[in-house]
Order: sequence, then structure tokens, then C-alpha cells
Amino acid sequence: MKDEINAFITLIDHPSPGIPIAIKDNICTKGIRTTAGSKVLADFIPSYSATLVERLENAGFSIIGKTNLDAFAHGSSTENSDFGVTLNPYDHQRLPGGSSGGSAAAVGAGLVDFAIGTETAGSIRQPAAWCGVVGFKPTYGYVSRYGVIAMASSMDCPGVIANNINNVIKVFEVISGHDSKDATSLSLPPFRFKQDRLIDGLKIGIPKSYLKITAPEVLEKFNQVGDIFRKLGHEVIEIEMLDPAIAIAVYTILQSSEVSSNLARFDGIRYGQDRRYFNPENQRRILLGTYALSADSYEQYYIKALKVRTLIINDFNKHFKNIDVILAPTTPTTALPLGSSLDDPLFGEYADQLVEPSTLAGLPGITVPCSLIDGLPVGFQIIGPRLSENLILNLALQYESIKN
Amino acid sequence: MKIIPIIGLEVHLELKTKSKMFCSCSAAHFQAEPNSQTCPVCLGFPGTLPVPNQTAIDWCLKLGLALNCRINQYSYFERKNYFYPDLPKGYQISQLHQPFAVGGFLEIEGRKIRLNRVHLEEDSGRCLRQNGQIQLDFNRAGVPLIEIVSEPDLTSLEIVKKFLSRIQQIARYLDVADADIEKGSMRCEPTVNLKIEEDDHIFYTPLVEIKNIAGLGEVAAALDFEINRQQKEFTETRQEKDKPPAGGKTTRGWNAGQKRTFLQREKEEVADYRYFPEPDIPPFEFSEEYIEKIRQEIPELPDQKIKNYLNWGLNQTEAEIMSYDRNFALCFEKAVGNQTKLAKSIANLFLGPLKFNLDLEKINPIFFHDLIKALNKNEISATVAKQIILESYQTGKNPLEIAKERNLFQNSDIEDLKTIAQKVLADNPQAVADYRKNPNSIGFLIGQLMKVSAGRANPQLARQVLEELLK
Repeated sequence: MKDEINAFITLIDHPSPGIPIAIKDNICTKGIRTTAGSKVLADFIPSYSATLVERLENAGFSIIGKTNLDAFAHGSSTENSDFGVTLNPYDHQRLPGGSSGGSAAAVGAGLVDFAIGTETAGSIRQPAAWCGVVGFKPTYGYVSRYGVIAMASSMDCPGVIANNINNVIKVFEVISGHDSKDATSLSLPPFRFKQDRLIDGLKIGIPKSYLKITAPEVLEKFNQVGDIFRKLGHEVIEIEMLDPAIAIAVYTILQSSEVSSNLARFDGIRYGQDRRYFNPENQRRILLGTYALSADSYEQYYIKALKVRTLIINDFNKHFKNIDVILAPTTPTTALPLGSSLDDPLFGEYADQLVEPSTLAGLPGITVPCSLIDGLPVGFQIIGPRLSENLILNLALQYESIKN
Repeated sequence: MKIIPIIGLEVHLELKTKSKMFCSCSAAHFQAEPNSQTCPVCLGFPGTLPVPNQTAIDWCLKLGLALNCRINQYSYFERKNYFYPDLPKGYQISQLHQPFAVGGFLEIEGRKIRLNRVHLEEDSGRCLRQNGQIQLDFNRAGVPLIEIVSEPDLTSLEIVKKFLSRIQQIARYLDVADADIEKGSMRCEPTVNLKIEEDDHIFYTPLVEIKNIAGLGEVAAALDFEINRQQKEFTETRQEKDKPPAGGKTTRGWNAGQKRTFLQREKEEVADYRYFPEPDIPPFEFSEEYIEKIRQEIPELPDQKIKNYLNWGLNQTEAEIMSYDRNFALCFEKAVGNQTKLAKSIANLFLGPLKFNLDLEKINPIFFHDLIKALNKNEISATVAKQIILESYQTGKNPLEIAKERNLFQNSDIEDLKTIAQKVLADNPQAVADYRKNPNSIGFLIGQLMKVSAGRANPQLARQVLEELLK
């Protein structure tokens, strides 16, 4: 396979027979180098596989490579990868998004039908939208985090990037379900999809605050999606939700706090390189999180952010009493040019702001490609209540069948 | 000048669960080959996650309840962040804001020593310094560790020793920890300062926390040194607690070789551990029923046993010794059964020939009752009783049968004893002469009579018969 877009950090020379799948390189694979996109782990070969990797291999999947990401998943562009940026398969002058940019680009370029990504806030859906593929993030705890190199433990969630919805379902059925090695994993059996072709009459809410920050050309394409769901017999209404900018503030504090603690183990004593090998973005987050957790700012920042997180969760819960799902653009813009994230520490917060609130609430969401603008993909997302995977996958399938 | 030490203790107990706190490695690490009991989880490898050990949690609740604490029905683990080579994750999973158990007490000689908390955490690995190198052993990393924090209510070395030994005893009664100070499975860090009363003024010396103490005797030695040192320092500097220039809390290490403490850390260097709730472990909610279920599993504790034994007629020292080890106490109680009037006599057997690690199964109360009744009726001597109860325990035979087989019943036949006594008097004319001068010397003649009777003569009757013949 030729990887002209640098989607992979490691390609397997002779993959074992099986259904080819790509794995984001922050997920441990026994005997296969796992770098998390960082020089700190440039030579790290795990002695164990993540639970989701074991489940895939047991189900007949074969790992063909480990995909690129922003180092330790810190970013939304892959420009923070210590192994070079991945190129957008639709335009090599543009970014694939991130942090699961390698996985999204590999699927978008047709190198593989499925890839595993992880999302802490948008890291599956945002790159999937920019690379024109389907990206699915389940309810927090539905897929085990064991073996996933932690970014922000209270939000990290593995999910699936694929070239169509049925392929997403196929992989999700394998990797989902309780794992005794992850205390936060839900006590549920593996997901089993029940198709409901005739689903109609749902109440679909579009948050006005999300549309305000969406570029006009993207908005135009998104409005066509709304019309399609109306034609399918659903009621599509606008709703008032909290400004996503609030989620950015909460996310920045909680995420960096957890990062500062999660990265403390990389002292170079038992494995890997020492802390000097963290890149500037890693260092920035460690410093910010260390500050947020320090005795003088803990109440003012960390505790306050936890409280606002509860408000965001309550906001979703309140709306899900009246509506079945939320419909929104996945990203405010299409893929941005290479270099856009450099010199802009808040680049990711802007690119991810339409997905961050639902991640903070641990909700499931799926992005589906809907059209192209100047040759660049646009996606929309469906967000549902906790454990509404079956519903949002059915809705996405309904849309996909109409489009095809 | 009157000086009262004010001492608070932080006690760590390693739980003796089969597996570690957050992984399935064995928790029994003592003298195991370095790093032989480790896995990716307790070595803090990337991507690994902690899964809490439910037994360790239950045991922490149980110890908390046994120490008269209240259980926080809503509780959670937190991360204590700091760097040290023996701390694999760069943080210790511990508890600060909502520990499992809070606000208990221990009663030591009628005085209540308040307990601030009993919480659960994981132990660190160990740094072994050798030839200028540091070697790391992670066998201990992740072993469940209970921390008991007292209020500063201890005012003497005697009370400190009793407090520690009571905690050790309770942990062993509950069978949750070996609490072996020499092996390091029980550790203690005291904080001490002095209250000095001088000409109607009261002064407090700055707080000092003492670290690196290994051994119960060392705790007392370290505190003793520190109390004297603080007194001397106060006389020289008049430095008081919380007053400039140096009134803050300091940490001093104990050097067991030199028998002295040395300065480790001043207050300005106090670490900020950046505690926050552990996101990898969901919070706990314990129902009233659950807590009650755990409370029911707590066996009768030494305090209650001592009270019972005093009621049965044992004295304080006897009661303390009988209750020190739970199995020993249970053997004693089984032997006593419903015959509490015989308890004192039975205790004498346990404090004598049976004072070793007994097997509860091998205790037969009927044997004890029969034996003590025979003893009280002078059918056997106390010496014989002690001898045959041990043999009975070892063989499972009724002790009175043993006595019968071996002809060990006391001879209380007056005519028999008279015959023996006449022989003894005839053989010992000098002793008879002595007795004429001093009747107290009869002991020698009784001894001779016992000897001739091969120990079977009833000593009281022997005396009677001899006195009769010597009239």
C-alpha cells in the first residue's frame, strides 16, 4: 500500500489474513509499536493489546497499520503529531482534522474501509467530516478504554470511522460491551443493531446557537439535510441550547487538568523517553492543567468547570424530554489549509466547538457526509441521549439510503 | 515548668488481600524476588486502568466501623499527584475529601483518642539505594494500604504504645492485616509538639512530623528524642508554634542507628499534591444495608472480651493476655463454655502449659471442666493438672483417663499417708529436730513425703498427717 498522505505512523509489512482495519496509534497493540504520535513513545512496543484490539482480532479483523494523530491526541489537525502532518485525501494542501486525522484520512483515501479512532472532544467526528467519511462516537463507557493511552479519562471514548454506516455498525458490534478491565465501562452486553426502516415522526431539534457559528456555505448544505429529514416524515424544529463557547471553557480546564496527571507516568524510567520529549502543545496542556489543579486555583477553575459540566449535561437532559435527537453541522467550516493550527493554540477549540458539548455530556453522536463545497466534504451530525445508539444509527441509515 | 507532649499519629496498614488494590497481581510481596509481582497496570504502563479491589474496600469499611467511625455513604478515590521514581503513575490513588470512614475513636485506659479518618490508598514501590545507585522494586506498588489518622490526643509514650498495639490487635482480630511493624506492613508517622506551662503562661512548640520509623520500639525512641530536643530548643530559642521566624511544621527523619532525628523539610517546601477525583474509578454509594452487613461481620473485639473476662474473675493483666490474640481467646472461651465459674482456673492452664498457638478444633470443654473439678476436689494436684492438660490437648484423650492410667490421682488415704510419713520421719532425724526448734521448717518434711509418694500425696493432708505425728 502506498501511503502518500502520511495517514500511518506504522504500516504492517505482512498483515495476518483477515478483514483489514486501521488502528489509531494511541491504542496499544501487542508487539506493534504504539507511539501515541509522540517522540516520548517512539520506540514503545506494548506487551498487551487494548481490549478493543483483542475483540477485533478475535472477530477476524487484521490490523494493517497504526494511524497518525496529534501527539497524545492533543489537537484537531494532526499538525501536532511528532511524525509529521497527515494530508487531507480530498486536497493535499489541506488538513485532515484530528486528532484521529490518520484514521479519517486513511478511510477517506480508500486505503481501508474501517478504522478505529478515539474522541475526547470531536476527535472522531471532526476529522471524519473533513475527510468525507462516517465517524461514530458511542456513549461514554460503551467501548472499553483499557489499552487506550489516556488523554482526558472522564471523556475519552473509542469509536469507529468507516466508509459507510453499515461498516460502522459491523465494527461497533465487535468492540462494544462491558470490560472488567475498565471500571468506567458500562454493564452492557455488546451492541446488537436492530434495523427499523420505517422509523418516522421523530422530533429533531436543531440548536440555534450552533448555527450562529457555522460558515454560511456550510449552513446552506446543512439546511438541505434538515429538509431531507422533514421529507422522511420527521418534525424538525429549532431549539435554544447553551452557547457552545461555554463548553470550550469547561473542556479546556477539565481536559488539561486530567492531561497533566495522565502524562505524569511518562518519566522515562520504565519505558519510553523522558519528559523533555513532550512537544510544545503537550507541554502547554500539562502546564495549564497543573495550574488549574493547584491549591490556589482548584476551586476557581477545576471545581467550577465540574459544576458547569453538570449544567451542560442538564441542558441536554432537559431538551431530550421534548425532542428525540439533535441535528447539527459537525464543523463550522470545511477542511482548513495546512498550517492553520500552527501559532493558534485555540485552533482545535474552534474546529471542535460543535462536538464538544455532547462529548462533555458523554453522549453518542455520528457524523455523516452530506455534500461537497469546492471539492471539500461537509458533514452533519446526529446527537442522541445516552445509549440511543440504535436510534441515531437507524436515522443515519435512513438518510444514507435516500442520498444513495 | 510543666511539659505535656501533644502527639498525633498517622498509621499505615498493608491489607493482606490476595491481590493488589487495582490489578490482579499478588499482594504478598515480602521478600519476593524484585519486580516478580508486577503487571502493566501496577507498573503504570500507557493505556492501563485501575479496577478497584472490592475486598479491600469492604475491609476498609470494616476496620473503620471497628474503630467507631462513621462510613461516608458517598465516597470516591482521588489522585494525589507527585513525582517519585517508585510511584509508577506519577500519582497515588488515595482519598482526601470523602474518605471511606471518618470520625472514630479508640478508648485507651478510659481515655478517648479521637480518629480523624480511615481511608484506603495504594502503596508505592520501593527505592533500594546501593553503591550510589537506585534500584527500583515495584512488587509493593499497588498493594492496598489503609491510613488511620488520629487527632493530636496522645500525651505520653505509654499511650502511644498502647494505641499502636490496640490498632495492630484490632486489624488482626478482623483478619485484614498482618500489621507486622518489623516487616513494614504496619508503619507509623507521628506528629509531635509540646505544651509548656511556665509561670502562668502556656507555650506551644512548633509541630514536627517524624518519618522513616521502622519498628514499634523505634516510635517511642524517636518520640522520646524529639520531646527532649524540642524542650531544649525551646529553652534556647523560645520559638513558638505558628510564630515567626520558624514556627511552621517541619519534617524530621529518624536515624535509628544514631538514635536521633534530623531536619528533612521546612514548611515552605510543603508539596501541593493537586488532588482531584480519580476519573478512572466511578464514585461509591454504600447503602445502610450494605454498611450494616459489614458491621455484622465484625467479631467481638478485645475491649469487650476484656470486660467479659473481668466479670469471669480474671484480673486485668490476665484478661489482657487472654484476649491479645483472637484465636487464643476463642480457644479459652471454648474451653470455658458455660462454666464461667471455672474460668479463672482454666485461664491458669492457658497462661501456663497451653500458652502457644492452639488449634480451636482440638479444644474439648468437657475435658477442661472435668479436670478443674477434680483439681478443686483435690483429686489431682495443680502440677499434675498442668502436665496432663497438655498431654490431653496433644492426644485428644480425657485428662482424667490419663491420670488414671498413669496413677496420678492424689493419695488422700490417711492410713497410707501415715505409713509414708512414719518412714519419712524415721529417715530424717535432723529435720525432725529442726522442726522442734522451728515449726516453719515442716516444708522440708512435706517435700520428702511428696518425693517418697512419687508426687501423688495430697499436700494438705500430708501436712496434717505430719503435724499430727510430730505432736
